[in-house]
Amino acid sequence: MSAADKAAGASTKSVPSFCYNCVSGPDFLRVKVENGVATEIGPNFDGDRIHPAHGRPCVKAYGLVQKTYNPNRILTPMKRTNPKKGMKEEPRFVPISWDEALDTIAGKLRAIRAKGVIDEAGLPRIAASFGHGGTPANYMGTFPAFLASWGPVDYSFGSGQGVKCVHSEHLYGEFWHRAFTVSADTPHTRYNISFGANVEVTGGPTAVIRHADARIRGYKRVQVEPSLTITAACSAEWVPIRPKTDPAFMFALIHVLVREHGLDKLDIPFLRDRTASPYLLAPNGLYLRDPQTSKPLLFDEASGRVVAHDTPGAKPAVAGRHRVARAITIDADAAREDFSDVDGVTAYQALVDHMARYTPEWASDICDVPADTIRRIANEYLEAASIGETIEIDGVTLPLRPVAVTLGKSVNNGWGAFECCWARTVLAMLVGALENPGGILGTTVRINKPQENRHMSVKPGDDGFMIQYFNPTGSNSWEAQPTTRNIHRTLVPIVGRNGGWSQALGPTQLAWMFQEETPEGWNWPKPTYPELWFVYRSNPAISFWETRRLAEAAAQFPFMVAFAYTVDETNYMADILLPEATDLESNQLIRMGQTKYMEHFWDHIGVVLRQKAVEPQGEARDFSWISGELARRAGLLDGYVSQLNRGISGVSPLKGETYDFSLDSTSALDPDKVWDAVCKAATATLSQGKECHGLDWFKDHGFYAIPQSRLGWYLTPTLEKQGLRYELPYQERLLRIGRELGNRLHENEIHWWDEQLTEYVGLPDWHDVPGRWERALVNAGGSLEEFPFWLLATKSMQYHSGGNSAIALMDEVSENLHGATGVIINEKTAQKLGIRENDRVEVRSHIGATYGKAALVKGVRPDTIVIIGQFDHWATPYIKDKERASLNTIAPMSLELTDATGSGADIVRVALRRADKAVAA
Amino acid sequence: MSDKLIDRVVPRQQKEWDIKGALNFIFGGAGAGLLVASPFAAALLADPRPFLALGLVLVAAGLFSVWLKIGRPWRALHVVRRPSTSWMTREALIAPLLFGAGAAGVVTGAPLFVALAALLGVVYAYAQGRILKANIGIAAWRRPACVIVVVATGLVEGFAIVGLASLIWPSLTALGYLVAALIVARFIAWTNYVADLRRTGAPTGTLAAFDAFAPRFLWLGHAAAGALALLGALAAQPLALALGGALAAIGGALFKYTLVCRAAFTQGFALPKTPARGRSKPGPGLQPGWERPKAG
Amino acid sequence: MSATAQKRYVMAIDLRRCVGCQTCTAACKNANATPPGVQWRRVLDIETGDFPDVQRTFMPVGCMHCANPPCMHVCPTTATKLRADGLVTIDYDICIGCANCVMACPYDARSIQHVAKYAYGTPMKSEEARFDAERLGVATKCTFCKDRIDLAALTGQTPGVDPEVTPACVNSCISDAMHFGDINDPNSNVSKMLGRTEHFRMHEELGTDPSIYYIVDGEET
Repeated sequence: MSAADKAAGASTKSVPSFCYNCVSGPDFLRVKVENGVATEIGPNFDGDRIHPAHGRPCVKAYGLVQKTYNPNRILTPMKRTNPKKGMKEEPRFVPISWDEALDTIAGKLRAIRAKGVIDEAGLPRIAASFGHGGTPANYMGTFPAFLASWGPVDYSFGSGQGVKCVHSEHLYGEFWHRAFTVSADTPHTRYNISFGANVEVTGGPTAVIRHADARIRGYKRVQVEPSLTITAACSAEWVPIRPKTDPAFMFALIHVLVREHGLDKLDIPFLRDRTASPYLLAPNGLYLRDPQTSKPLLFDEASGRVVAHDTPGAKPAVAGRHRVARAITIDADAAREDFSDVDGVTAYQALVDHMARYTPEWASDICDVPADTIRRIANEYLEAASIGETIEIDGVTLPLRPVAVTLGKSVNNGWGAFECCWARTVLAMLVGALENPGGILGTTVRINKPQENRHMSVKPGDDGFMIQYFNPTGSNSWEAQPTTRNIHRTLVPIVGRNGGWSQALGPTQLAWMFQEETPEGWNWPKPTYPELWFVYRSNPAISFWETRRLAEAAAQFPFMVAFAYTVDETNYMADILLPEATDLESNQLIRMGQTKYMEHFWDHIGVVLRQKAVEPQGEARDFSWISGELARRAGLLDGYVSQLNRGISGVSPLKGETYDFSLDSTSALDPDKVWDAVCKAATATLSQGKECHGLDWFKDHGFYAIPQSRLGWYLTPTLEKQGLRYELPYQERLLRIGRELGNRLHENEIHWWDEQLTEYVGLPDWHDVPGRWERALVNAGGSLEEFPFWLLATKSMQYHSGGNSAIALMDEVSENLHGATGVIINEKTAQKLGIRENDRVEVRSHIGATYGKAALVKGVRPDTIVIIGQFDHWATPYIKDKERASLNTIAPMSLELTDATGSGADIVRVALRRADKAVAA
Repeated sequence: MSDKLIDRVVPRQQKEWDIKGALNFIFGGAGAGLLVASPFAAALLADPRPFLALGLVLVAAGLFSVWLKIGRPWRALHVVRRPSTSWMTREALIAPLLFGAGAAGVVTGAPLFVALAALLGVVYAYAQGRILKANIGIAAWRRPACVIVVVATGLVEGFAIVGLASLIWPSLTALGYLVAALIVARFIAWTNYVADLRRTGAPTGTLAAFDAFAPRFLWLGHAAAGALALLGALAAQPLALALGGALAAIGGALFKYTLVCRAAFTQGFALPKTPARGRSKPGPGLQPGWERPKAG
Repeated sequence: MSATAQKRYVMAIDLRRCVGCQTCTAACKNANATPPGVQWRRVLDIETGDFPDVQRTFMPVGCMHCANPPCMHVCPTTATKLRADGLVTIDYDICIGCANCVMACPYDARSIQHVAKYAYGTPMKSEEARFDAERLGVATKCTFCKDRIDLAALTGQTPGVDPEVTPACVNSCISDAMHFGDINDPNSNVSKMLGRTEHFRMHEELGTDPSIYYIVDGEET
């Protein structure tokens, strides 16, 4: 007990816990509990030296007291009594007992199981949707064990993944360097070009403190973004680029590096040894390969001969053209082509040639940024890369390349995102800043395994690269009929097949769209509705796009079970509402450090407890209890117990070589016993058997951590040890796989995915990315004159992924930021339209309109309007009474605007005008 | 706190002292002015006691009005605890003296008490001016010129109300010269005050509020009022003086309402310099919502 | 007492670090149980320049705990006092809620709530637990978390160094922008920091001698 507690009296206690309301967690916190009532949130300074942000949570955590006692909470299980569903249909929820609720659900589950878990269309009969970036997993206790005990579950119905996450970065980042999220190595970097990466808002306390420290240290961050976001504000320079033209800017940066500076100024050893830059390309754009071994060839400067890429002692030539006497290429479907006496061009040389036309002057017109600015930034980047400099980390000398290009949402998802992700990675590659200190690094893996250690996912694969687990595209192995409603295995090879994460990263809008209408030429069974849909911490009827249409689609689902905090726009369509014990009301142990997203590479790894600080309100029940009861009543208890013992809802298996905390069918139903076992197994694993702490210990101490070398932050040394190369800059494999996918689709007379197939190229070219949205508008019958502005969405720390729009405190404090709750408009634009500060305005796209208060700023492009957050609530108590605009209401779900990875971007053409009707109170 | 997004930074109209707060200055100033004018009325052969009485009633009404406004009216007597620096305390301490002298004057009609009440009336009006001036959070109030205009306004109102009584006591029409002279004095004080604000800088909203009020105050509250008062005196026309007095008094009341409620903008916030962000250097700042003094 | 009398607690806020996240605003509201709409600490969002050369600065504000506090001078009741350690305090038992101090403060730091207000209309358990009728009808403002500073005298801890005796906003600041300490102690964290950095104080020209310093440049450590 702290001194402050002693002074406050014995009825006050301070409870350590964590916040993981957004992907940038966990952050430590303490809950002050007075006479059994949570009254205050504060930092947990016990974690000062463990947690990168010194034990401090962000603003969202301070809303948890209100979250607990919000009078609008659902506090008993409820069932719907209005059989009709829809936005206009009052659900008429009435309270029921837990027994009735659970037995009803269990009855459905048993009936479904009796029919088979896969339906006649080949799709799972059960679907589940969880909110932002996996964060619900940190609050849903043992529910993953329940789901795993069930079998196939369709995670196709996204709440925003693909369109709201950094989707292409997830997929390509993990492909190129095991980087589900790509971060600057902020503690070491000196120069950061950030294309819309709003880390001061979405990076959590860890990013905020690291970038603040970096500013004081004197790093330079250039924020390239259409509006002066918080991150742009905190940068040394803001470059207001035209929306969605980022690839052109990045291509020009590459142009300056490879054509105006040239190879001599770049990191030759890195290009030569760690990348495919020396691989020789045939005129057909495929690697020239050894006819016997099929290994890619390169020119060895030591021997003066063309040799296989893995020839010991070879000194590969990075640049140039080299004569190859005999070789083959291997195209889609293993089509071989023989070559003799052919000029092979190195992949690096192909890049140099390819970039010739992408001058800063060329990019200037497209991006609306002066060429001098682009050139200066490229020069600053190269200079800051300090090629040749080294750093010693724990006795190991590594290259120090303190430059990073980071990308944000809407830059790294949707059309153009592939180009951006590629260009950013190439920019790192050219100066050796890829997965080296100071550069860019990946913080976790989700498509590869094991999630807790990306280094262990690095194994030798084809052609000297890391192994990859694509969805097959071969004629015998391709999944010719979808097994999920978002068709991820069939359409998106790169998303892989690693269970829930691969599924959830599929083209989730397709799942929503195709429930309503399938494209012309659809020759699969019509997608079915899931017979039972679980929803938790997820509100797609607000957070996805074309949300009114989506809400009506969800209303068609026959049976929906929502774990419900309050009534909201999605669970408005639910059949059963289950009130789960929320953040401060239940226990859960999770991993921390080096396993997470954003900037969460720590100097420690360990586990941290979310602790039950207060008794659940009303009839709310611990999620782990609910999960166990569902398993028991549905006849899944054995599977549930075995999944728990496997460690699926914990941190490590409950039985290891030196310990055994296995649960049985009785103890597995008691959440305290479950978490006690999880705590013990986790500490035994982390300490390699030296320590073992149970739930009671964690209730006092909050977390358990062991030091972790920073060497673990960087992947390049791991590749070096295995003699592997990054598959850069040329994308021979993607090219081949794209052709193969095209073959499969066309064999099946599927042509509605043809545009997406154009993304599979060896080296990306600029295409008119914003023009895609303009063409889509025209195709939908609109005109550019009618909808003259770009509408973008960005995030705020107060709300980002918190599912906390019902929390009054967040609303109050977010109002302190200009535009945080309004429609952000350039003041000169507004003046021309006769719009004044705080006027009610209508933002209209070709599919609808959204309304909010005008916030006039200087810091946004005159052709761009920005809305922060995802609102426009009509059912969620408190916030529904505030008129808050949202891009989601008026951004269309569209196949045309879906890229090859299945993602889209938060951008839509709109009209803007004053709308004088009084803002709703 | 305002619910307008932008108002968190720029000066905003104060809301704590509403019309109830303004009435203390409107009634208190006019009442104090009446006390000051009473001996002059007596000198012009009118009975000063009704004016004294009305003056006391007005001062009391002003104080009552503010008592209704304060958060903890039942501990209002705590108001007397800081005479060392607080002009509100001083106002509260002057008030009983003023009521004592005034009441004695009303009861006895003795010139000594009438004169004493008049003197305390001046002090009271001055104290009110100083209450405003001490509130440095309100740019419109903190200048010495504000004290002068507040006192001048109170005096004009007092004499103007006495001028109204010329309808009953025609001998009071001679007061028209003094009323006219005081209107001129108030005009000088007012124009000096506004010019001082422009010279030294003020919130845009403050100047806008005064600018909006200026034409009516100039033409009705000063030009017409002064001319009628003078006409009343020159032509011995009580009605003219009464009209002029009424215009002058109403103008003064509206001016004080403007001063306390409409033009009273908070200081707002200033950013003298923007901070360095990484490799950038501090840049020029600004004081949003302010009219800064013109260069030179 | 002489050692105490010489203390002057100040806050040094590094504007280079602040990201406007409002964590301090929310932490203050948690720690001090202020009603909806009352923010003893908040962060302003100020835009300067012209497109495309625009800056945005985030500036935490609240009571500046002035050494020459205009609020105290005008306070007719002596409810507002200046302590020897630099804290400007309000005695809720004495204050009459005349709002004179609200007008006197050039920092918009004070407010008066005349009726109880709750986040959702009716009081939640957490609001009931911390409701304080004393605060109705009187002026309230940032106290520099006075109770914590007072606790330091009992525990021997150092405000600004030991979290338990440091204001909640400073503890909460995720960018480490806010620092607290005794400026009269040349070895305190704030003295050292202010000695090395370029800084300003708000509305210094009004003669208030405020106790919040805003850092804009210079070496921090």
